[in-house]
Amino acid sequence: MANRSGPQRPNGTAQAKICQFKLVLLGESAVGKSSLVLRFVKGQFHEFQESTIGAAFLTQTVCVDDTTVKFEIWDTAGQERYHSLAPMYYRGAQAAIVVYDVTNQDTFGRAKTWVKELQRQASPNIVIALAGNKADLANKRSVELEEAQAYAEENQLLFMETSAKTAKNVNEVFLAIAKKLPKNDQNVNPSVPVNITAWLTICVLRAGHF
Amino acid sequence: MAMATSRISKYDEYGFERPEDFDYALYEDFMSQYLKVLALRSKKWSSIMASPKGLKKSSSLKADIRKGIPLEHREKVWLFVSGANEERKKYRGDIYSDLTIVEDRDLADTIRTDLPRTFPENIYFNKSEESEGPNFQKQLFRVLVAYGQHNRKVGYCQGMNYIAGLLLLVTKNEESTFWLLKMLVEKILPDYYSRTMDGLLTDIDVISELVRLRYPDVSAHMSNLSFPWPVITTKWFICLFCEVLPTETVLRIWDCLFNEGSKVLFRVALTIISLHRAEILACEQFVDLSECLKGIIKGPSTLYCHKFLEQIFKVPGKLSLKDLNKMRNNMSKTRHMRK
Ligand SMILES: Nc1nc2c(ncn2[C@@H]2O[C@H](COP(=O)(O)OP(=O)(O)OP(=O)(O)O)[C@@H](O)[C@H]2O)c(=O)[nH]1
Ligand SMILES: [Mg+2]
Repeated sequence: MANRSGPQRPNGTAQAKICQFKLVLLGESAVGKSSLVLRFVKGQFHEFQESTIGAAFLTQTVCVDDTTVKFEIWDTAGQERYHSLAPMYYRGAQAAIVVYDVTNQDTFGRAKTWVKELQRQASPNIVIALAGNKADLANKRSVELEEAQAYAEENQLLFMETSAKTAKNVNEVFLAIAKKLPKNDQNVNPSVPVNITAWLTICVLRAGHF
Repeated sequence: MAMATSRISKYDEYGFERPEDFDYALYEDFMSQYLKVLALRSKKWSSIMASPKGLKKSSSLKADIRKGIPLEHREKVWLFVSGANEERKKYRGDIYSDLTIVEDRDLADTIRTDLPRTFPENIYFNKSEESEGPNFQKQLFRVLVAYGQHNRKVGYCQGMNYIAGLLLLVTKNEESTFWLLKMLVEKILPDYYSRTMDGLLTDIDVISELVRLRYPDVSAHMSNLSFPWPVITTKWFICLFCEVLPTETVLRIWDCLFNEGSKVLFRVALTIISLHRAEILACEQFVDLSECLKGIIKGPSTLYCHKFLEQIFKVPGKLSLKDLNKMRNNMSKTRHMRK
């Protein structure tokens, strides 16, 4: 593991800031929410990813300039009837990734519904990213890039087409969100800096994936 | 260690591939004890099954079911004690095969999407793997379509795929699976799988209330860390601990579930929390707690299923169906008032 590390900061550098954010993934079933998280957190992809029941919780860290951004990721179940549980997961979230499948127009419609719901019910300053996943299946595309881009601009969302399978734009979405999030003192996690070196190691390891 | 690994197959007896971090040494210790239990139970159940009134409701039968039904008798006993056999008689002829003809295309599509996503690590469900045994994916499709078309109010709810899948692995029979699924969804469990999931939302509230009453320190700690209960309990209830606890333990729980009803699920949940109270209280952060809970369900306390099943009827103390239903009513009322 250590051989992956790039330039490392000296131990316990004082000015390193660590921010913690809650991020939720929303979108129709089977669009690839869990796969995006698995790619981002473990660098893996499963051809047959099990459907998520309820929600799953994972964490991952990225570096933006001199700040370490720690994501608490809530991966939710996509089936319509699990909808009533969703508010519990997006409540208090500072960021959301709304996912659709570029080969399936219905899932894009559903994504728009999620965006509306977040705009109405989630924290007013929530950073929302729209991800058109399964971009590797371009020959089966049914949602045009331009269409989604226009929609994202209109609604001031970050937007990227991603592929959990090829890893295209996966780290980039999370990084773009990390960049956009306000890194003020309020989000600095007070209980973390005890073991700053460990955090930085994870942080450097992550960078290796880019 | 190496020896233990080679002696125990990569797949368990139900066809599930053992995870990479599988603790072979622990498993071998468990099996060395459990095989003796199984041998004793097998003898006992042969005589129960041979007796004409063996499955008639009695306290001794209840005790024997709590001690575990041998795999070879599970299908028969589950069908009997769940009331599935009786239920089946209410319908004229063989309704199952007619129901497997796809009429609702949307339903069939939804189910089809989930087929390769159900137990992909199980040889009987994993198409790509060349296995001698049966391939249950097609059968799973038919059972779920049949049930969704039979009960349109419920249709297909994610989670039912795992339940029907495990039922198929045990019974190896589609039709039995259909009837057992029907009994679970309509008779044994509250309204968990319908479009509103009303019964599930209620039971999620009930379990957090039970924890608050019985283990107030745990309850307070969880809310201090703002850990929402549904994060863990949704899957516990929806999947009936399948995909959560070790398979053998799940089947032992289902033995009691079919015979005694949904109360058993609360016993299991409360026992898990009670046995690991100290570990839960030691978690200082949300993240630690999440990891801790993941570890607990993989650990020895639930692997040693015989001991665990004894504990679920002792550890949480009294839990009457009457009180439980009263609580369900109250919780449901409160929730609807909040809306
Ligand atoms: N080709 C391709 N397939 C993908 C991609 N991402 C996910 N998949 C596949 O799509 C299926 C569904 O992916 P999941 O990650 O389970 O989808 P989900 O959104 O989490 O679904 P639910 O948990 O049911 O809400 C899986 O079989 C994945 O292998 C991708 O980028 N490209
Ligand atoms: Mg998922």
